[in-house]
Amino acid sequence: MIGYNVRCNLMARVLIVDDAAFMRTKIRLTLEKAGHEIAGEAENGLEGVAKYFEIKPDVVTMDITMPVMNGLEALKEIKKADKNARVLMISAMGQEGIVREAVMYGAKTFIVKPFTDERLIQTVEKMLSL
Amino acid sequence: MYDEYSNETMLDIYVFETEQLLEQLEQLMLNCEKETGFTSEAIDEIFRIMHTIKGSSAMMMFNDISNLAHSMEDLFYCLRNGKNEIADNSFISDLVFEGIDFIKEEIEKIKNGISADGNPTALIEKIKIFIKDLQNDVQFPDPGIKKAIVETTGSIAQDTYKSNPEDGRAPPKHAFKAVLHFEEGCEMENIRAYSVVHNLKDITSDLFHIPENIIDNDSSKDIKQNGFHMCFTTDLGYGEIQEVLMQTIFLRELILEEIDKEEMERISKNKSKPYLVSESDEKPGIHGEKLNNPGTQKSKTERETPLSSGHQNILSVDVAKLDRLMDLVGEMVIAEAMVIQNPDLAGMELTNFQKAAQRLDKITKEIQDMVMSIRMVSLTATFQKMNRIVRDMCKKLDKEAKLVIIGEETEVDKNVIEHISDPLMHLVRNALDHGIESAEEREAAGKPRYGTITLEAKSSGSDVLITVRDDGKGLEREKILNKAREKGLISKSDSDLTDREIYNLILLPGFSTKDNVTEFSGRGVGMDVVARNIETIGGSVIVDSAPKSGTTITLKIPLTLAIVDGMNIRVGKSLFTLPTISIKESFRPNAGDTFTDPEGNEMIMVRGNCYPILRLHEYYNIATDVIDFTEGIIIMVEHDEKALCIFADELVGQQQIVVKSLPRYIRDFKKIKGLAGCTLLGDGSISLILDIGGLIYGWNVN
Repeated sequence: MIGYNVRCNLMARVLIVDDAAFMRTKIRLTLEKAGHEIAGEAENGLEGVAKYFEIKPDVVTMDITMPVMNGLEALKEIKKADKNARVLMISAMGQEGIVREAVMYGAKTFIVKPFTDERLIQTVEKMLSL
Repeated sequence: MYDEYSNETMLDIYVFETEQLLEQLEQLMLNCEKETGFTSEAIDEIFRIMHTIKGSSAMMMFNDISNLAHSMEDLFYCLRNGKNEIADNSFISDLVFEGIDFIKEEIEKIKNGISADGNPTALIEKIKIFIKDLQNDVQFPDPGIKKAIVETTGSIAQDTYKSNPEDGRAPPKHAFKAVLHFEEGCEMENIRAYSVVHNLKDITSDLFHIPENIIDNDSSKDIKQNGFHMCFTTDLGYGEIQEVLMQTIFLRELILEEIDKEEMERISKNKSKPYLVSESDEKPGIHGEKLNNPGTQKSKTERETPLSSGHQNILSVDVAKLDRLMDLVGEMVIAEAMVIQNPDLAGMELTNFQKAAQRLDKITKEIQDMVMSIRMVSLTATFQKMNRIVRDMCKKLDKEAKLVIIGEETEVDKNVIEHISDPLMHLVRNALDHGIESAEEREAAGKPRYGTITLEAKSSGSDVLITVRDDGKGLEREKILNKAREKGLISKSDSDLTDREIYNLILLPGFSTKDNVTEFSGRGVGMDVVARNIETIGGSVIVDSAPKSGTTITLKIPLTLAIVDGMNIRVGKSLFTLPTISIKESFRPNAGDTFTDPEGNEMIMVRGNCYPILRLHEYYNIATDVIDFTEGIIIMVEHDEKALCIFADELVGQQQIVVKSLPRYIRDFKKIKGLAGCTLLGDGSISLILDIGGLIYGWNVN
């Protein structure tokens, strides 16, 4: 029961930004299973930025390669207006350069595809305490 | 349980999305190849598609697919950064198509629950060699090392965060040494280290770290093995620094110790040691600079463009559920008729009931239309697939042809699409293989070198007509006749057959004029299979051809399969239903209008034209009192531009009917002619649906 309470306290409202429906679903199911709330989903950076200010989530999972506006630009836009935004970059091997830039622009952290459910959940929960 | 369930769902979504992406990619490639060449937009998009497939496949543990996608991604990364023209377009598209085919095949296996065991190593190797060649040609960056995407610029060189100690402030109070170990398998350790350094930059000064170069990805290995070592000075105390460092996500272990100034001094001065950061005057002022960079500006202008327009609210639904919904709506239509036309109500004055009934009827129709429209899918995807077939076949057969697509936006029922996809593919293959001549032959015949295959769809009433037309050599009348005679497929003397009838002989089972079986068409599956496939969905095939100028094959397909407007008629005690759409007119003839031709066939003259009469009661052997034409009713129906007058006792009424196909054993063993199925009427009685095409054809033959 204690574990349950702790988890309740740490429940995050999450915004998922990813152009791939597969990844959005994967992230949503994984986080929902851990008791977090998916407050919104967006298919590209531009939509992500708009949704961010609409729903003010605790955590944003941000894909990098997306049409219209990529994840890095979206991160910059979000960070410009909200310095405390918690953005988790979802990256893939080979994107080191961009990930570094994302960190520079204030991404809290990043995970690298493929990742396990546990890793994603842990990362999001740790971000909550930051 | 939950996991299993969600994995199942994930697999479905993965398969669905990957298939969509592959289709998109294929289209893109065909466009690039045909017209535009590889524009930078196209390359970007291809890159993005491969990237998405790579990521999703890796998440699903389909590593072979992921690796292949990765190498294709690398290839397009190279192309994007290469400044000069792409030399060998067709080689690139061949590579990509090969890749697409591989992934498609694997996805197919995954769909069928077989393990995806294909081996892409050879292809990956081929792509790698090609990338190498590209890089040798021009100074390409190595994609494996620095993959920067779109606006990521090289402006971040080796940033070492190091505040200027000579700015007049009091020297920092503490110095620390820290060793960080990251969690195993968290990947990109160097960037994680970079992130730590980044977080410390505002609260520390004189920060040094080992490995010194954390921009280069090779340092990841080093950090993985030996941990990330740092030395820095700061005003903050041990507890505060520890707190900051402990916030690092993916941190497995932290060793933090305070060191004295001397040791710090020693480290900072000892520049000769290879693992210490070289001092530079670079300031950490990248932020201000970066905000003015053109990439940011660009994204701002892009922001004016659609925010919501591109985003549709689309829900994907299992087709099985739609099928069930369709069935239920059908049942509801029947049930509604049962209520409204209930025999118990006969002869009663029910004004309010009638009003309510009308309203129910209206809503039922709307629901029905809505369900139908949900099931309607445009032919675009089916048609576009043919592009690829034409391309591949042209390459293999060494012919030149282009595919012209007209009316691809025409919509048909989802079920119909599934049934026509294979036949269409077969027809297009046939057209290329047997129809279109080689470029030389074509030139000799005074035709353009390029053959043209036209794929056209259009609606006509309750049918959709799909034509596959080629401008090739046409069908050989004599050859078909000989073959048909040889196989005993024709009984009539040759002179009685019209050209059209002869051409349509190729639809009969066991007919194939091609002596040699080629790789593409004649695989033992002939036109008869096409015809049978189309017939199972209530359609028909018409073959037309002109020597030397080409062949046209038309598929006539019902728009939807399940619910049609029908006219109920009665013969004796039996009820029949005719699809309203095929009825031209109905009337009670005058005594003098009918006559008998020398062969004993009854005919009727309507506005100067003669039409044969079919007495349903005779045709189906039904006892009835109405035998004289003047006592019953004549219904003129039309199919394929042929008309027939059906004689019945009386019209019963018009209503929407749900077509139920006859049970297989009745169809196969009884072989009742001219029936398309049956339906339930409002009073619960069963009515047989007449197949007009079958009746007319059967009538002509007899």
